[in-house]
Amino acid sequence: MKNPYSYIEAEITNIVSETPNIKTFTLKPKGDIGFRAGQFMDVTLPGIGEAPFTPSSNHNIKEKLDFTVMSAGRVTKLLHEAKPGDIVGLRGPYGKGYPLNDFKSKDIVIIGGGVGLAPLRALIYALFNDVNDYNRIVVKYGSRSPKDIVYKKEVESWKDAAKHVEVDVTTDIGDDTWKGNVGLVTTTLKNFTFDVSNAVAIVCGPPIMMKFVTFKLLDLGFKDSNLYLSMEKNMSCGVGKCGHCRVGPYYACKDGPVFTYDKIRDLPNIWD
Amino acid sequence: MTDNFYIITKKDLFDLFERFSKDHRVFVPYAKGDRLHFEEFDPKKEDLIELGGIRQSQPFKSFLNPAREKVLPEKLADNRPMIIAGVKACDLASLAVQDFVFLKGECEDPFYSENRANTIIIASDCTYARETCFCLAMEGAPYPKVNFDISISAIDDFFLAEVSTDKGRQIINDFKTFFSACNPRYINIRQSNRDVVTGQVRDFIQKRGTKSASEIKGAIAKNYDNLELWKDSASTCVECGACNLVCPTCHCFMLYDEKQQDKMKRMRIWDSCLYNTFARVAGGANPRRHLYERLRNRFDKKFEFFPQVMNYTACTGCGRCVEACPGNIDIREVLKGAVLGKWEKPPHK
Repeated sequence: MKNPYSYIEAEITNIVSETPNIKTFTLKPKGDIGFRAGQFMDVTLPGIGEAPFTPSSNHNIKEKLDFTVMSAGRVTKLLHEAKPGDIVGLRGPYGKGYPLNDFKSKDIVIIGGGVGLAPLRALIYALFNDVNDYNRIVVKYGSRSPKDIVYKKEVESWKDAAKHVEVDVTTDIGDDTWKGNVGLVTTTLKNFTFDVSNAVAIVCGPPIMMKFVTFKLLDLGFKDSNLYLSMEKNMSCGVGKCGHCRVGPYYACKDGPVFTYDKIRDLPNIWD
Repeated sequence: MTDNFYIITKKDLFDLFERFSKDHRVFVPYAKGDRLHFEEFDPKKEDLIELGGIRQSQPFKSFLNPAREKVLPEKLADNRPMIIAGVKACDLASLAVQDFVFLKGECEDPFYSENRANTIIIASDCTYARETCFCLAMEGAPYPKVNFDISISAIDDFFLAEVSTDKGRQIINDFKTFFSACNPRYINIRQSNRDVVTGQVRDFIQKRGTKSASEIKGAIAKNYDNLELWKDSASTCVECGACNLVCPTCHCFMLYDEKQQDKMKRMRIWDSCLYNTFARVAGGANPRRHLYERLRNRFDKKFEFFPQVMNYTACTGCGRCVEACPGNIDIREVLKGAVLGKWEKPPHK
């Protein structure tokens, strides 16, 4: 029997504290489970519950998967107490990944807010696998404050991947140590020139950030169908049966969680 | 023409149930007050069995997708095949939705699939209608048309049996002595009985002005931003979720993990879209924060989502939600309000 609610075991091999409430867990699956950037998996704490996360690591590496998790609910709070060596469950992958083939030869603008950089990190590494296939890769990342920046050590090094990679980090509020930009991530889009006829934008972050970034990108002339938005709803079963993550005629788990804006533009309450 | 029709006496039918109950779980409707409930067949309680009447309290989905089912570790529960007798047309119609959700799409749900394959459905005609019945408005009828193996219709003190599937045919072949040839006259009697009950349902629909599936088409989308309609309709809702639980087409569930003697157990439990937590995410965002949004979602799902994804209106007119709602919210009145642009708040009891 192929049981869609069953999982395979995975061992936590490493834990990195990114911010006071965000940790990155490296999991070593005890079985064959891969993903494409943008797809998500359900992580189970056996006997406690499960929650959906998009892996944040390079999808070419199946042996080690990173999950960057904010302590927000019952399961994530307990996951934050886990130690290396602990066993969790993994099932998936679910949903549609980013259509990397459609991104080839284009300008790619990646805009992340807060822990929303997690799925985008998987995308960034996926793009870096064939970095010269893309015309330009621009990462715009905004966090609330300097101490809320995730992947601190990595983010700045991303621009070393190739000459046509740019990285821009901003924080809503600064502090004494912060030498970078201060302001919402939307401010980094001002005075920024894109060839919108040959560009795609990929956005992931809190709903309010997604909303304003989308409107800003539309102002800049991006086409609805070139905006890729993460609609991470209350996904549970992962296979379009349990009903929780419905968005209009779609289920975020099987039809998303990434949707182009033209698909969801006219649906009610998409920013809530 | 009469190849699919047989006669079986009540005594033989009950004997058949008894024979089957040795290696099947046999469920039949029992009368309790003015309601009918499915319970396992008990030969000592034969006189309480009511195969006519109207739909039972339990929606048929509870046999295929039980309210609480263990999905991990994979079950060793009773997996004897089931025979369910007395199933009414409004429940048979709901199988289109349940099958669509659990058998199609990304993958099959193996638990539903096994239950579905392991179940023999003996359907029966409604022998009267209640005011809450509106199957005709939802393109149904008070007698079995689809999704049954054998149907039985009371004629005097015996039943006219109609075979619809190979599974049903197998039963007739295996128990030839129980079934006798059918005089075509009985088919006419069955038709006139059906006409009587159909007339009763039609009268109830006309008297109330209940809107039909074709009149409702697109009405929920059109009224999506008609907040007064949703706020008024939800004004007596207490978020109990009864409408979801009794609904034969509602399918939503939650996966619930628990520990039992250090072993994990994953349950699949019916959920309700009226609960505040249904769509809320861990970070706190909730696309349906307000109760009226959640009530609207119930209508949106049945009358817009399912017509869009499977060309099927996910209401069979069984009327169970009308009777179950402690807030007197009446699906027929909400739909009427959406079509006519005129409605009243649900009356307090």
